Amino acid sequence: MPQLMILFTILLTVGAYLLSKALYLRYRHPLLNIVLLGAGIIIATLLALKIPYQTYLPGRQIMTSLLGPATVGLAVPLYRHRSLLRRYAPAIVAGVGLGSLASMFVAGLIALVAGLPREVVLSVLPKSVTIPFAVEIARIHGGSPGLASAFVVATGTLGSVFGGTLLTWAGIKDPVARGLAMGTGAHGQGTAMAFMEGERQGSMAGLAMTLAGITTASIAPLMVRLLLRH
Amino acid sequence: MKKKVQFLGQLAVLIAIYLVGNKVVLLTGLPVPGNVVGVVLLYALLNLGLIRLEHVQEAADFLLRHLVFFFIPVAVDLMNWGGVFYRYGLALALAIAVSTVLTFLGTGYLAQWLQKGEKTCPN
Repeated sequence: MPQLMILFTILLTVGAYLLSKALYLRYRHPLLNIVLLGAGIIIATLLALKIPYQTYLPGRQIMTSLLGPATVGLAVPLYRHRSLLRRYAPAIVAGVGLGSLASMFVAGLIALVAGLPREVVLSVLPKSVTIPFAVEIARIHGGSPGLASAFVVATGTLGSVFGGTLLTWAGIKDPVARGLAMGTGAHGQGTAMAFMEGERQGSMAGLAMTLAGITTASIAPLMVRLLLRH
Repeated sequence: MKKKVQFLGQLAVLIAIYLVGNKVVLLTGLPVPGNVVGVVLLYALLNLGLIRLEHVQEAADFLLRHLVFFFIPVAVDLMNWGGVFYRYGLALALAIAVSTVLTFLGTGYLAQWLQKGEKTCPN
């Protein structure tokens, strides 16, 4: 009965989401990541019940059908903060541009030099941008959406645990600069940390997160050609 | 009831823009994701006044609040990739850590330098 199985996988996913979200809200520790925790619960359940990955796919397709429209909604906070966007345009454009370039180039170069397979290299390139953009960028250029999402979460976790300390240690005190760095370097997870520092940092991080996604998507084709031509 | 209809209408607007974004990519062959085109499109329409915030904001805010939910089924794909972390874990950790540190420093320094002389307005 495939319908029952689809229903089961969806309920399992909703349950895993609610459980990991409740755990996160209770402990608020950056290492307790809702995405990885939720996926871990689901994978463990599927393995324990000997349900193959393919059986999860129809439900996955239904659940992710709203991801695209939800992502389009990112234009709403961008529009709400359009006066900030205008006021800090030079810092935003230059900071987000440089950060997006550096993130892709350095991660891709190290992965290449280390001899990782092409599919893995392509999945690590968009690691600093929010998951819906990263999985699409990876997919278009021949990477794996699943791997890309894991690298994004690893980056975000690292950035949200150490990012604030790193910026302070480096003498970066300007709230606009701190917010931009957290949003460009560690997407939504960095944005959550930036909001804990202050409203200005958080808003800048949110802007940077969406703009870094757009920038990374636009320069990814060139970066792929530069690093992996053949 | 009216609220629900309004919400569904807003959702329909977001879905339509997303579909147009995908169509644009399909027709032009641009090597960028349709959702990225969709964000740019909605931002442009809001700025042009062709779509107003009250046409999309409840649905957008609701979906963005639960955005993390949609990431979980995507991450379940990792079921197929356990070996990659086992075999290439060190190189991957290095690639992610070094590039993330450099991104933070690059963006932070450049933005702070450009902000110098500009007064940061108080919140």
